[in-house]
Amino acid sequence: MGLTERHELPVVSPDGGEASFLTTRLDDIVNWSRRSSMWPMPFGTACCAIEMMAMAATKYDVARFGMERMSYTPRQADLLICAGRVTYKMAPVLRRIWDQMPQPKWCISMGACASSGGVFDVYSMVQGIDTIVPVDVYVPGCPPRPEGLIYGILLIHEKVRGETLKNPALRAEDSARAGLPNLPAEVVAEITTPFGNSTNQNKVSGLLSTGAVSRPTDRHP
Amino acid sequence: MSTKTVEYLVRRTPELGVDGRPVQLPLISGDLEPELHGEHMLINIGPQHPATHGVLRLVLELDGETVIKCTPHIGYLHSSFEKLGEYRTWNQVIPLTDRMDYLAPLIYNCAYAMAVEKLMGIEVTERCKIVRVICMELDRIFSHLLWIGTTAIDIGAFTVFLYTFQERERIYSLHEAFTGARITTSSTRIGGMMADLPPGWVEALRHFVDTLPRTLDETETLLTHNNLWVGRNRDIGIISGEDALDWGLTGPNLRASGVTYDVRKDKPYYDYDSYDFEVPIGEHGDCYDRYLVRMEEMRQSLRILDQAIRRLPGGPINVDDPRIILPGKTDLMADMESMIHHFKVVMEGVKAPAGESWYGVESSKGELGMYVVSDGGSKPVRWRVRGPSFINLSALPMMVEGHLLSDVIAINASIDIVLGEIDR
Amino acid sequence: MAKPELKDAIAGLESGPETTPNGVATARGEAAAESHPTVAALRAQFGDAVLHHTVYSGDEHVVYIVPERSQELLSWLRHDPGQCFDLLKDVTAVDYGAGRPLELVYELWSVPRRVGLRVKVTLPLESLEADSVEPIWKTANWLEREVYDMFGIHFRGHPDLRRIMMPENYAEGHPLRKDFPLRGRFSRAEQTRRALSAPPEDNYTPDELAVALQEERPAVAGGEVADERSHAAASADLDPAAASPRPNTAADWSLGSSGSAAAGTQGATQ
Repeated sequence: MGLTERHELPVVSPDGGEASFLTTRLDDIVNWSRRSSMWPMPFGTACCAIEMMAMAATKYDVARFGMERMSYTPRQADLLICAGRVTYKMAPVLRRIWDQMPQPKWCISMGACASSGGVFDVYSMVQGIDTIVPVDVYVPGCPPRPEGLIYGILLIHEKVRGETLKNPALRAEDSARAGLPNLPAEVVAEITTPFGNSTNQNKVSGLLSTGAVSRPTDRHP
Repeated sequence: MSTKTVEYLVRRTPELGVDGRPVQLPLISGDLEPELHGEHMLINIGPQHPATHGVLRLVLELDGETVIKCTPHIGYLHSSFEKLGEYRTWNQVIPLTDRMDYLAPLIYNCAYAMAVEKLMGIEVTERCKIVRVICMELDRIFSHLLWIGTTAIDIGAFTVFLYTFQERERIYSLHEAFTGARITTSSTRIGGMMADLPPGWVEALRHFVDTLPRTLDETETLLTHNNLWVGRNRDIGIISGEDALDWGLTGPNLRASGVTYDVRKDKPYYDYDSYDFEVPIGEHGDCYDRYLVRMEEMRQSLRILDQAIRRLPGGPINVDDPRIILPGKTDLMADMESMIHHFKVVMEGVKAPAGESWYGVESSKGELGMYVVSDGGSKPVRWRVRGPSFINLSALPMMVEGHLLSDVIAINASIDIVLGEIDR
Repeated sequence: MAKPELKDAIAGLESGPETTPNGVATARGEAAAESHPTVAALRAQFGDAVLHHTVYSGDEHVVYIVPERSQELLSWLRHDPGQCFDLLKDVTAVDYGAGRPLELVYELWSVPRRVGLRVKVTLPLESLEADSVEPIWKTANWLEREVYDMFGIHFRGHPDLRRIMMPENYAEGHPLRKDFPLRGRFSRAEQTRRALSAPPEDNYTPDELAVALQEERPAVAGGEVADERSHAAASADLDPAAASPRPNTAADWSLGSSGSAAAGTQGATQ
């Protein structure tokens, strides 16, 4: 269904020859319409959601991009902005919302917590939503300023500019993977190991002997 | 609320009356399909929903549109702040405090620093006390502005959101000029603040205090005597004073039900008893009274800010104790002893004596309690946050019983919750 | 690392409150009985159910009581007209680690008298049970649920004791205990797997499912059934972090042998 059927244009060779004038024009029109009125699905959980609201307010005014119509139903949304930290309890909800969005859809991971777990390398926090859903743009910050999020949105627009209808896999619905995490288990294990300063922050108050259990893969100084 | 209600429903009988027309008898319940009975419906709101103010999930059992039972499910934002606090030194916990109530971060920063300073027996300077009072009252206004914006959106009045967010942008600028960040301020330190007020900040704050009442007046013009607003909020979500105390409500929710309890008046800190301000107390305990209490609280906070600005003294903002506060950069670069103190404070952290402290401050949502337990080390043994929204939300099931589904949204908005504080 | 003498010296440092054999903290001296009128009245009323009274941070009065009579004492504190502690500000617990008993902490406030008091109950690790104070203050409902979730303290007489922050089928334990590691007991891959492959019915209590499926409500209290569910999850086999090079398919992420109590029922209302 969807895009794969629209390739039956009389002048285009369906097996992907060099770009012809008409496909380029069609790509331009389709990409222009997609990026000019991209309705965001604000999956706001924590502090980043407040900056997302500030972006929607008058000073930063995301309405100039055609995006003030926040779509709280995923069925009508184009862009999932995951703003805020996501816990393992919330992860199936995020995955379900992503699956409910029809193609074309993109995802922005806003903030440090959504991108990598942020300050929360703890038992309950997903260490980056890219383990759950495929992410197109990561916006770092804690929280990123509204201008930062707008820059992330403009990067998505750039990404949309570069898309083409001749690649059916790009915007194909992937219902076989619905409900599954985005990355295989060993990749999840690899990208969620503690890094940086969190490896030094394993210890409770030095005077206390707690018998705390550490995991063998945790790196100690 | 239309006044043209149908006064009676009739059914016609086959008999003809004296005027040649069918006799009409009043319809009584049970006439139509007496065996018809309804089933209760289970509706799930959230955790991703525009009107739940965060990742709150409400499961409602409805009879038609009337709520029979409401069960909030929380924990979708549980970031284990309290566990994380056990692995951080006393000063490293401060950035965590911003991220709990991200609508009033300075209040949390101050409350935590005040609790640890009490535990350590540190008395901050006079200037620091007044700067912290300014921060807390500014963030009370900050939080209430967001509250009225989002509550109005939930009820359907979009304009108020834009007005209040414009004012909040001004507070964001003040935050950023003072602390470097708009939301996650992390501005207090044990023994003082991260930096003193920048030049021109007090004048900018004075300008804000002088011009905010105009926006508050505009908002009140739009809402306070608006038929729709009153109709959606009056007599909705009523909770009596005894019930409110029983359920542990604090803050504007409790005061709207008529109970006179404000931590700033009943257990004052930082010379709040020397400021001249009033605490608005409601009567009916409905959503409308909660709205009135918060609007008036913003005006009273402006009064406190005005007085605090007037009495702001000069002098140092941090205590003069090198074991606690980082030395100034010029001293650090010139003096070996300062460098050693800097090293010890950063690497080992500040040490607190063994003991504990429970410190309550009046946050915008209610009484915020910070409970810190120390064993003599540089990290807390236990850091407990008594988040007012957690306890305020626990009263929601009782407040929405018997109301309509649309009232659930209004009541949920009126108790002013923030999920970062609830789920911690 | 440290020299042997230094290590011994450090190991000899007691951390946390020093305790007597019955587990009551006595590191700080006994406060003067008259310094807090409520404590004097408590002692007069309940005698040796009041174990210890001390003052922290200058002016915070704390009284330690025996666990067996905690509900009686706290009820008296609420209802006695001379005491009237009508606002329960907080119920929480403190784990000092290293096998020490847990402290259950009640923070009380009297609105008319403007007086506060902290009441502590010391619970040994073998019997983490206390009487619920929900009949006394309704606010204890959620507060005790959180203490149960985070510490594993079971409250007798609580109407609905189930987890509140963590999902109900959380199998890694009680997070705020000192022997619980910061990043949890399972690997991240396992936590992801469990999060995404739980059946949708796990999100609803048995009461709610009964409404949705138009069935009879379960005869047992919700708390017991929820415990069954979490016990079932806890006893399931742990799936080690899969190191297979297979692509990311449904087979990698299925729940496998661990099942929930409500598995098999269809018709979830999501």
